[in-house]
Amino acid sequence: MQDPWPSSTSPIQRLVEAFHRLPGIGPKSAQRLAYYILRAPEEEARALAEALLEVKERVVLCSRCQDITEQDPCRICLDTSRDRTSICVVEEPLDLRAIERTRGYHGLFHVLHGVISPADGVGPEDLKIAELLARLRDVDHDATEVIVATNPNLEGEATAMYLGRLLTPLGIRVTRLARGLPAGADLEYADDVTLGRALEFRQVVE
Amino acid sequence: MHLSGLSLTNVRSFRRLDLELRPGMHVIAGPNGSGKSNLLEAIALLATTRSVRAAADADLISWDALRDEPLPVGRLSAQVASREGPVTVEVVIAARAGLEGQPAAATRRFRVNGVARRASDLIGRLRVVLFSADDLGIIDGAPAARRRYLDVTISQLDPTYVRALQRYQRVLQQRNSLLRRLQERRGAPNELDFWDQELAESGATVLTARAATLAALATGASARYVDLAPAGEELAICYRPALPPPLTDLVSEPAAALAPRFLETLNELRRRDIQAGATRIGPHRDDVTFLLGGHPAGVSASRGQQRSAALALRLAEVALSTQRTGDAPVLLLDDVLSELDAARRARVLATAYEVDQVFITTPDPDRPSVDELPSARRYQLVSGAVRPIEDAAG
Repeated sequence: MQDPWPSSTSPIQRLVEAFHRLPGIGPKSAQRLAYYILRAPEEEARALAEALLEVKERVVLCSRCQDITEQDPCRICLDTSRDRTSICVVEEPLDLRAIERTRGYHGLFHVLHGVISPADGVGPEDLKIAELLARLRDVDHDATEVIVATNPNLEGEATAMYLGRLLTPLGIRVTRLARGLPAGADLEYADDVTLGRALEFRQVVE
Repeated sequence: MHLSGLSLTNVRSFRRLDLELRPGMHVIAGPNGSGKSNLLEAIALLATTRSVRAAADADLISWDALRDEPLPVGRLSAQVASREGPVTVEVVIAARAGLEGQPAAATRRFRVNGVARRASDLIGRLRVVLFSADDLGIIDGAPAARRRYLDVTISQLDPTYVRALQRYQRVLQQRNSLLRRLQERRGAPNELDFWDQELAESGATVLTARAATLAALATGASARYVDLAPAGEELAICYRPALPPPLTDLVSEPAAALAPRFLETLNELRRRDIQAGATRIGPHRDDVTFLLGGHPAGVSASRGQQRSAALALRLAEVALSTQRTGDAPVLLLDDVLSELDAARRARVLATAYEVDQVFITTPDPDRPSVDELPSARRYQLVSGAVRPIEDAAG
């Protein structure tokens, strides 16, 4: 088979490989991006490089909620208008943003930065759980409810159960997001598991 | 049920194949290596989502496509006519060429009536029973071959089994990883609680489904073995669940009764599991024994006896699939008739007449003969194309 790549030590090849390591970027997209940069004006490449470095230098984790932020504590943690009795626990910073977009939640957040998954070498001590306990004892001792908003898969459930067992003895109400049909869904096209769950957790119509 | 259409693109030796199909018998003749088995493998894959032979999914994509196309994709689809109405099932296997030096990986996607679905939603829409020379491995192969046989057979009959099995396998992998961490004194044993509970629940479903299906198959296979080997001894098939003795009797109870006892036992054995760094009980270690006249068939039976036992099991599977669903499965006979004597061949063909659709591959276009199968449509498979043979007699 013919080798479609320049020599592996070339700057282009290094850039292609760097792009390919990014999530969602396949070999073809990586190649397209690298050649785009090659043809772009130097200012554009410099601006991208600086933005990349800046994000690593300026963005830190909030010492309370562990979300990514440029100021510590972050804006949500400092916002006095938010409901401080409720903390919503999410896997990743992107999940926090998804819940913020709903505009239906006004409490605080806590980002775990992962879920329990022994197969990937991730145990409770590798997540920001100690930090959650610390803030429940200290700055956020007013919290009465922890909403576990991990993904509805095996690892998300394992994490939810772990948190439930850890926090319930502290007098905190631990809840889990409901599972069922997505809004606007067509019943006919729902998979059996989702439909089964929706039936199991059905609600009274009043 | 029957296939009313089959399309293959870039699958094994087929660049492009479109067949319109009708109920009845189909004899596909072709020399060795012409791709007869690939055709039946493709049909079976549409029923079970797994290949019976390929080690890696990428192996299913045709060599030409892997060599010539930047993004090689193999596509299989079938129109199925069943009691529940027509349904289209589709499996797409896409190779992802890695960067230089990395092996090509493959992803599989599934569609039912054009809508993207999980594998567990596709399995069972088309049901097949495949007879092949590899069936001997069920009798004399490793325990894994027998577990695989059970999984493929039960999955097609029971969608809840597929989901329980997939969940069990994921939980088992997580639990074993955690056991190894605990063995190295990292983490706390109570982290096992969640995985134990999940393992017991999904495991109980798998165990009770296997026990129930195997009991039905054992009865059916024993009765058919008498026909296949009239002078022979009795065939007995026993399920050997990998559970401690007090639990083995509970596999014939409902899963809800077994799960709590399974969980208790996991708790009792927790320290030993941590020492071993592995889960030592559960359906992943199950086995099945085949006894002929009380002796293990895998060790002491002759080749002919083993072949009859495998055949009896497959015939029982056809009957069970029909009985459980009210609709006969599609029969796939992959070059198995030539190895049988006339009496056994007649037994298999008698079953073939009881189902809606049969595909028979053979290297010899005159066997099975027109006398044996007067109503069969005959095809010749040449260089990736299936052509009807004009029936001189009819």
